Amino acid sequence: MKRHFDCTACGKCCHGWLPLSISDALAHADIFPLFLFWMPVRPGGKSYDLTRELGIELKLKKRKRAAVRVFPVSYVPTHISCPALQNDGLCTIHESKPQRCRTMPLSGARAESDQLDLLIPKPDWDCDVSDTAPLIYDDKHITERQNFEDERQVLIADSKILKPFANLMIDGAPKLRMDLEKVANRPKGGHLILNFSTLVPRLADVDIFKLAKKQASVMLHFADQTAERTEFSDEHKRYVACAQDWQKILD
Amino acid sequence: MTDCPCNSGVDFNDCCGPILDGTTTAQTAEALMRSRYTAHVKGNFDHVANTHAPEIKSTYNKSAAKAQSKGTEWVGLEIRECKDGGVDDETGTVLFSAKFMENGDLNVHRELSDFRRENGEWVYVDGKINPQGEPRRVQKVGRNEPCPCGSGKKYKKCCGK
Repeated sequence: MKRHFDCTACGKCCHGWLPLSISDALAHADIFPLFLFWMPVRPGGKSYDLTRELGIELKLKKRKRAAVRVFPVSYVPTHISCPALQNDGLCTIHESKPQRCRTMPLSGARAESDQLDLLIPKPDWDCDVSDTAPLIYDDKHITERQNFEDERQVLIADSKILKPFANLMIDGAPKLRMDLEKVANRPKGGHLILNFSTLVPRLADVDIFKLAKKQASVMLHFADQTAERTEFSDEHKRYVACAQDWQKILD
Repeated sequence: MTDCPCNSGVDFNDCCGPILDGTTTAQTAEALMRSRYTAHVKGNFDHVANTHAPEIKSTYNKSAAKAQSKGTEWVGLEIRECKDGGVDDETGTVLFSAKFMENGDLNVHRELSDFRRENGEWVYVDGKINPQGEPRRVQKVGRNEPCPCGSGKKYKKCCGK
């Protein structure tokens, strides 16, 4: 199976959640509302082995298992545009944009052989997938590799911080384990969301006060944007609570 | 006299005090553990950072730890078990429970910490939170075996009746 792809800069994929590396999250903390996703994958699920390598393996009840990957996310509500997206569909931070954006539509968080479904554009996207576009995927091999490799390297480097962090959190908070188990057992899967601030004590070089200042204002901005919109009431509550959390550090 | 916050029952100036202000260093893994607890009580995160093993220094953010400890009040330490970590040892482990108040709730932090000597000084290496104890093993006594109480009778005629 061959897949062709060329970006037409339509900006349609620049909406909703955006998984980030730790350094991309910190570099753009002044615009992205940062949270930590905990995403379990059950054996047989998408790229299970890779997820276990990049994350941790969790023993569940009845001898079941799940791999859990923890990663920062720019938590923009689905269908809401990225704060870095301009009206003309271009990116305001193009030169320093996150590795996740550069690797699109491929994903370094998925096995090389497990990319096919990512290469079918969503119905409203304007990607060029005609035969005249460059060939990017051929018989389970990525032909245009650079960004994919770069993203994978970043994820591996991050896992050295995120794995011990995840284990520590799970050991210290039995409720987190129970919640993860619930999510893992859902037929459709899912994720848990924690505040990004929980990770900061493990990041030696971060100035938490500068970060708290940026994030408190970003969270308030998104709380404003989602206020009085019932479809975003969950997100709204999260932004408000998270803004308070960051503010506490500043008080 | 002020009792040391680490609940040793010893005066602060004869216990964790001199270790915190650098006039002396911890002679045992337990003493270092106690001083690190007291450092949390006193908000002395320099001492916490300075007593980390080199390999974990890159995963500890002192100011973030301090900023996020604001709502936490440490209210008591109990050392449960020490393995090695003495004046003649190179490594040691300490199992402890530290109580703290957060948002009006009393919580307990249980940890099994690993310590090691680095250039002669004890440093904190790693810790396992809420460690699982060794599974309890029970020796089964056969009904016809001699009773373990030492009476000389068969178990079934004695304690196993």
